[in-house]
Amino acid sequence: MYELLLAGIQNVLHFKYLGPLALGTLIGVVGGALPGITNTMTVIMVLPFTFGLEPLQGLSAMIGVYVGGESGGLIASTLLGIPGKPSSVATMFDGFPMSKKGEPGRALWLGIWASFFGGLLGGVFLIGTTEPLASLALQFGPWEYFSLFVFALSMVAGLTGASLVKGLLSGAIGLVVTVLGNDPVMGQTRLTLGIPFLEGGIPFLPVLIGVFAFAQIMSDVERMGRGRRAAEAGFATPKLVVSHAKVIWEILSRPVMLLWTSFVGVLIGVLPAIGGSAANVMAYDQAKKFSRHPERFGTGTPEGIIASEAANNSNVGGSLVTIMAFGIPGDAVTAVMLGALTIHGIQPGPLFISQNSQLAYGIFAAYLIAHFIMIAIMFVGVRWFLRVVTVPRAILFPVILVLCVVGAYALDNTMANVYVLAVFGVVGYLMVKGGLPLAPLILGVILGDQIEINLIRAIMTDANPWLFLTRPISGALLALSVASVVAALWQHHRQKRRTGAAAPAEETADF
Amino acid sequence: MIGRDGITGLVALAASLVLFYLTLDLKPSPLVPIGPGFYPRLVLGITAVLSAILVVQDFLARRRAEPAAGERPNYSLVVTCFAVFGLYVGLLPWLGFRIATFAFVAAFQALLDPPRGKRGWLAVLATALITTAVAYYLFEHYLLVLLPRGRWTDF
Repeated sequence: MYELLLAGIQNVLHFKYLGPLALGTLIGVVGGALPGITNTMTVIMVLPFTFGLEPLQGLSAMIGVYVGGESGGLIASTLLGIPGKPSSVATMFDGFPMSKKGEPGRALWLGIWASFFGGLLGGVFLIGTTEPLASLALQFGPWEYFSLFVFALSMVAGLTGASLVKGLLSGAIGLVVTVLGNDPVMGQTRLTLGIPFLEGGIPFLPVLIGVFAFAQIMSDVERMGRGRRAAEAGFATPKLVVSHAKVIWEILSRPVMLLWTSFVGVLIGVLPAIGGSAANVMAYDQAKKFSRHPERFGTGTPEGIIASEAANNSNVGGSLVTIMAFGIPGDAVTAVMLGALTIHGIQPGPLFISQNSQLAYGIFAAYLIAHFIMIAIMFVGVRWFLRVVTVPRAILFPVILVLCVVGAYALDNTMANVYVLAVFGVVGYLMVKGGLPLAPLILGVILGDQIEINLIRAIMTDANPWLFLTRPISGALLALSVASVVAALWQHHRQKRRTGAAAPAEETADF
Repeated sequence: MIGRDGITGLVALAASLVLFYLTLDLKPSPLVPIGPGFYPRLVLGITAVLSAILVVQDFLARRRAEPAAGERPNYSLVVTCFAVFGLYVGLLPWLGFRIATFAFVAAFQALLDPPRGKRGWLAVLATALITTAVAYYLFEHYLLVLLPRGRWTDF
């Protein structure tokens, strides 16, 4: 394993891979610094540029975006009090007060170095667990795969949004998208509604791009002309000089908290389709609960910054584990990565690491190296990135939409994918307005075909439906699915009783 | 009166029932015991049940409490933005990538932040030109993506 990792590092250090990785990290940091532009949006923008590259080059660029984006978000959070993206909200709770107290450099670099250490800890988990988990998954038959995918979908539906029914409905709509077109086993045409293009089914990447891009952009457009310019107004660059040795010591002198919050981040990352924002807030909450001085949280305490930033970067490692070991995207960013892999004819899943070991260890290496590049980029350009928040949305949005169109078109050089993008752009926006979370929809679209194929394979192998329950792993996974739904019901019920509010809460999709 | 969730549930219910009806025409396969219609029916059935639950939940919630009125979002701008994007996508194969993209970026920008005076318009046109030129050059020359040529313009 270590030889392969070392070879992977040597490989990625070649300019051929290091170039896209560094550029991706830079784009990620800049995208992360832009309030309202999430990692998913940034990785969607980068996607069309990766089509003409080798798989490892393209994935290196995307991993760079992912790592850079998780770190870039803290710039606006700590220095301006505007979260760069949902996964840096909790960083703002203590980062901004510390800046206001006259220590902007300390606040910023505590976040950057915590991201670095948290990310590396996530890397240890990624490298250490992917292969054993993939080996476990290799023992799965169609019953276990079916149950695993159902478990992933039920868990996501329960964890996202304020309503379990809406989460499940969103996942079910995602599955409906996959039943349009030929059936995956016999190829019989079904539910094409007379549209010849649908015979091949609906490709998931234009769906994903359309849903996420429009849901975010149009939700922002709704609020345009209502004080958004204030955030885009000019500001004076604060003094960011700091003793890095002191900042690093501040982080490393709290090893238990660093390890625990990084572990929380990794765990959240492993859970399908919930990502950095949940990790950021949950780790902050954990740090506060375990702190000897919880009353200091929210006033500019270093623990708050360290916990939230360590968690959202280690979360990336967790998300990569799920996609590399099981072929299930850990969040929307890894869903785009899955799309990029399939474009190159590579199927992520249990066989991925054994059949593509050079690529797999290249991904590990790119993930680790991206953290060092991120630190270097921050050293050189943090002052410039702060200026990025002044870029007007009116310029950004049409540029992003053009890149989305090119990304969809370039999948197979047809306009049909662009039409899918446009249709699902409207669907995504309407779903957000209807209060339906988007993450279960996307997971449903990605897993739908696999759920059907494994269900049919299982029944063709043995028609006894009880095998889904009596085979130990399959039965356990289905029991966990039921448990996750029951737990979500209980949690929603408890939350409702606590708040006593009858009006439904607005959904916040984890883009 | 029906609320947001009720409308969402009713739309999803109607769509799933129509699709469910269409699956009844699917013929069973001699090779696969459950046939091509089994899984779609299962999925659409679940969707219909969940949609119905959402409608009922909304109905019961409405009886208990009325939602608080919030700030009204700028929906007219959203609809116009969708229309401009739809026009862009629709005209792309006819005008070609370069002309359509230039017009789209300029129009979308002007829509979101109406330019003031000659300088404002110049900035909008310059952004549209740069975006189109950079995207075209990068994708056509470096990434070998053949972007659409216009059937009307051959450009």
